Amino acid sequence: MGVLRAGLCPGLTQDMVGQLRSRGIKTVVDLVSADLEDVAQKCGLSYKALVALRRVLLAQFSAFPCNGADLYEELKTSTAILSTGIGSLDKLLDAGLYTGEVTEIVGGPGSGKTQVCLCVAANVAYDLQQNVVYIDSSGGLTASRILQLLQARTPEEEEQAGALQRIQVVRAFDIFQMLDVLQDFRGAMSQQ
Amino acid sequence: MCSDFRRAESGTELLARLEGRSSLKEIEPYLFADEDSSVHGDILEFHGPEGTGKTEMLYHLTARCILPKSEGGLEVEVLFIDTDYHFDMLRLVTILEHRLSQSSEEMVKCCLGRLLLVNCSSNTQLLLTLYSLETVVCSHPSLCLLILDSLSAFYWIDRVNGGESVNLQEYTLKKCAQFLEKLVNEYRLVLFATTQSIMQKTTNWTEGPSSALNHPSEADADYRPYLCKAWQQVVRHRIFFSKQEDFKTSNQFSLVSRHLKSNSLKKHIFIIGESGIEFC
Repeated sequence: MGVLRAGLCPGLTQDMVGQLRSRGIKTVVDLVSADLEDVAQKCGLSYKALVALRRVLLAQFSAFPCNGADLYEELKTSTAILSTGIGSLDKLLDAGLYTGEVTEIVGGPGSGKTQVCLCVAANVAYDLQQNVVYIDSSGGLTASRILQLLQARTPEEEEQAGALQRIQVVRAFDIFQMLDVLQDFRGAMSQQ
Repeated sequence: MCSDFRRAESGTELLARLEGRSSLKEIEPYLFADEDSSVHGDILEFHGPEGTGKTEMLYHLTARCILPKSEGGLEVEVLFIDTDYHFDMLRLVTILEHRLSQSSEEMVKCCLGRLLLVNCSSNTQLLLTLYSLETVVCSHPSLCLLILDSLSAFYWIDRVNGGESVNLQEYTLKKCAQFLEKLVNEYRLVLFATTQSIMQKTTNWTEGPSSALNHPSEADADYRPYLCKAWQQVVRHRIFFSKQEDFKTSNQFSLVSRHLKSNSLKKHIFIIGESGIEFC
């Protein structure tokens, strides 16, 4: 989104782009906010073609409004609440972590943030039997600690191993690696 | 493009449009500093640091609008533009359930049917969305309220993209402000927009700390306008939100409403409960 170029949307040819650029219309915003009659006269393009182009560009690049009732319906069917495995934390979070929401845990060093994360990961992997992606950018994750948490839940080694396998650990120590990880994850999710 | 649409309107549609849009006077008397000022074409800015109740106030206003007349609402439609991507549908539903005398799924869904929600990921997308929303406003005669949460979401991104030139930095937001004013005036809407306090408070070294407490408008004495001039000119009321500092009243929030032309000021205190905002 931004600069007008041939093929950006159906109906926008290289000729048109050239003629518009010669009159100072270089970006999508320029074209959409311009007075089209004026542009048609100055650039020698048909007014109808410009109006159609404007409509196509707006349909392609603007956001689509959705109805509140539909959104609520969708939310009801797709939202799940994941228990953190810590009773008092669940009470604070109104039953647990809601899917579709970002929950931020903030605190100074040594206040227990990583421990909460490890506990939630163990709970989701073992009790809820779901997959976890654990992105570690602080180096605070140790597999032995998760194993300890799982051993407290079950003595069966097979079940512990099963739960550990459901936790995928990714390390990202700079912002670009982090973005890469998130993009890869998004791609993997959309293929499911 | 849209003027053709309006000419094709029937007599009953015209009446519906004018009648429907004049009932917003009751929306929330606490927010308007100047009692005589007309509500149509009003643009109000909610300003304040995070956690001071701006978005909660938007849910309160949305609920007031979408509830049916039999339950004390205005039964009008609301268009909510969310640039922060933090619209909490479950919170709005909780507020509606508390305010309905008989809360059933059907009633809640009927109310939510009067809400339109849009998300925008940049000021450019916001501008293009506003242009295409003109047709939505034309086709919904009972749409009276436009909400924008928040207008300052992409401020720093614009600053970076604009480089050294202030004109370039403010270009898109300026166009948004001008188009919003046009929309609000032409279709007789009311716009509520939130902005974050992202600039540091000014410290007045000569006066000292005690004078700040005596000053009646201490909430807005520190206000530093940072959005483009086009937006500053378009705002008619500016409402400052803040949390009470006093330990005894630590669950209270306050809002100071200033009408920019007449310079009249009003202060109100509210708390936020399960059913939304309650004025004290």
